[in-house]
Amino acid sequence: MQIDIDSLETYNRLAREGASSAAESLSGLTGIETHVEVTNISLMAPADLKYEYLGGEFSGVRIELDGALDGETVLTFDEAARETIADVLAPGADAGMRKSSIEEVGNILTSGFIDGWADHLDAVIDISPPTYLEGSGTDVLPAETADADEQVFVFRSRVESASGSLDFHILLVPKRESLVEALEPTADDAVPFEKLEVFNEMTKSGAERAADNVTTMTGLETDVEVNRMRFVPVDKVPAAVGDQRYVGTVMEYTGKPSGYLVILFDRPSAEAVVDALVPMETDGEWSEMEQSAMKELGNIMTSGFIDGWANVLESSIDHSPPTFVSDMGSSIMSPIVGRMARSQEHAFLLDSMIRTDTDGVFRCELFALPDEAELREVLDDLLVERADKTHVDPDEVF
Amino acid sequence: MKVLIADDSEFMRSLLREILEEEYTIAGEAENGVEAIELYNENDPDLVMMDIVMPIRDGIEATGEITDSDPGAKVIMCTSVGQEQKMKNAIQAGAEGYITKPFQKPSVLEEIENVVAG
Repeated sequence: MQIDIDSLETYNRLAREGASSAAESLSGLTGIETHVEVTNISLMAPADLKYEYLGGEFSGVRIELDGALDGETVLTFDEAARETIADVLAPGADAGMRKSSIEEVGNILTSGFIDGWADHLDAVIDISPPTYLEGSGTDVLPAETADADEQVFVFRSRVESASGSLDFHILLVPKRESLVEALEPTADDAVPFEKLEVFNEMTKSGAERAADNVTTMTGLETDVEVNRMRFVPVDKVPAAVGDQRYVGTVMEYTGKPSGYLVILFDRPSAEAVVDALVPMETDGEWSEMEQSAMKELGNIMTSGFIDGWANVLESSIDHSPPTFVSDMGSSIMSPIVGRMARSQEHAFLLDSMIRTDTDGVFRCELFALPDEAELREVLDDLLVERADKTHVDPDEVF
Repeated sequence: MKVLIADDSEFMRSLLREILEEEYTIAGEAENGVEAIELYNENDPDLVMMDIVMPIRDGIEATGEITDSDPGAKVIMCTSVGQEQKMKNAIQAGAEGYITKPFQKPSVLEEIENVVAG
């Protein structure tokens, strides 16, 4: 299977337009303004999809697609949106009618989301009657992904309202063979799907090494819980990272590929790792030694992350000394995106989440933003059979 | 034996100092490659623990300059970088040992013993 990166841009646009259409429909039905916050395409293991819906109750619809695009779409509202829609469309109605209103709204929005795809493919996409969904985590995931082992492409959009009362997500998971036809390459520089998968696996290995390094340095048990490669309009990267406050480091790397690696801890996690490295009383500000410890941790995690790429590609990737950051995620990403936007419209955002199950405190996200054109070259040069050569023992070289 | 520490991280310098000062004399601490060369020339250490990723001048360049002027210099790269190409570059620059961060005290002392023993 070959992937035409340019056609990914087209499909990302289609997903965004579809989500805009759904947002407009919802605004029309409820009178509440909504907007598409972010749309992206992710390549990820199905098991990682469950993190989309952790920590909340959702309801919505699942619709099966057949024809020019075969697969599944799930549209979910969070609890506040579910209440808002039912209150507006079925005020004072019984539970059955309120559920029916959610079902119908989901149906209308999903149709609007899919129509653009059918127009683009100049073909018919049949949609099944909606199945009502309610629950959290895997309860509201596309059924297609439940037992799948292979990485899947997921088209996702997040729509938000200013008040936060009408937010919803759309996930589209096409079947692989259907995507093969939809993404049939027209350009010479198409990338084999296998290479994208392998590169994603290499990135996960790098994140695992970074996580191991955190454990070695701090004693905190860690694990890589989510790893995905997102394809996103470059100006939407800050929104994809979100507005939560983070503490961490930013590094620029140069070589093949070049780009940026941003390592972000939520505040309690940052305090936990720094306290493990340099136990000392603090007044809430980050002292020079604490910043130095955080930067060194970022330095070591960065090497763990990108060394595997260099070793597999038999190349060399340099990285700058880390810069300490403490700000909202979107604000940290904005200057980076500003520089990248001079040369590219879309970005591959490699996103890995490191967590711990032991005390629920530790959470760290790694965001790698390789130069898009250079990543294409890397994928072209990548020898799949060298994919496991990520680690080199110095004793074997010296 | 006098050991020069070159690392841009204050945290990492303090960690290395803690490990080394029980056994060795610290001949100085440099924050970048240029300072490392200057302190090497001033203090004539027996061994340099050299980071790679440093501002102004990286550790491999600094190692090359030190071993050019003193072919007997003993340098151990002490770095987070685990890339094979960088290891080869370090050998070309004259480094005799290579420790990857994060490290444990025994592995640091063992690598020093190996390099000093030749």
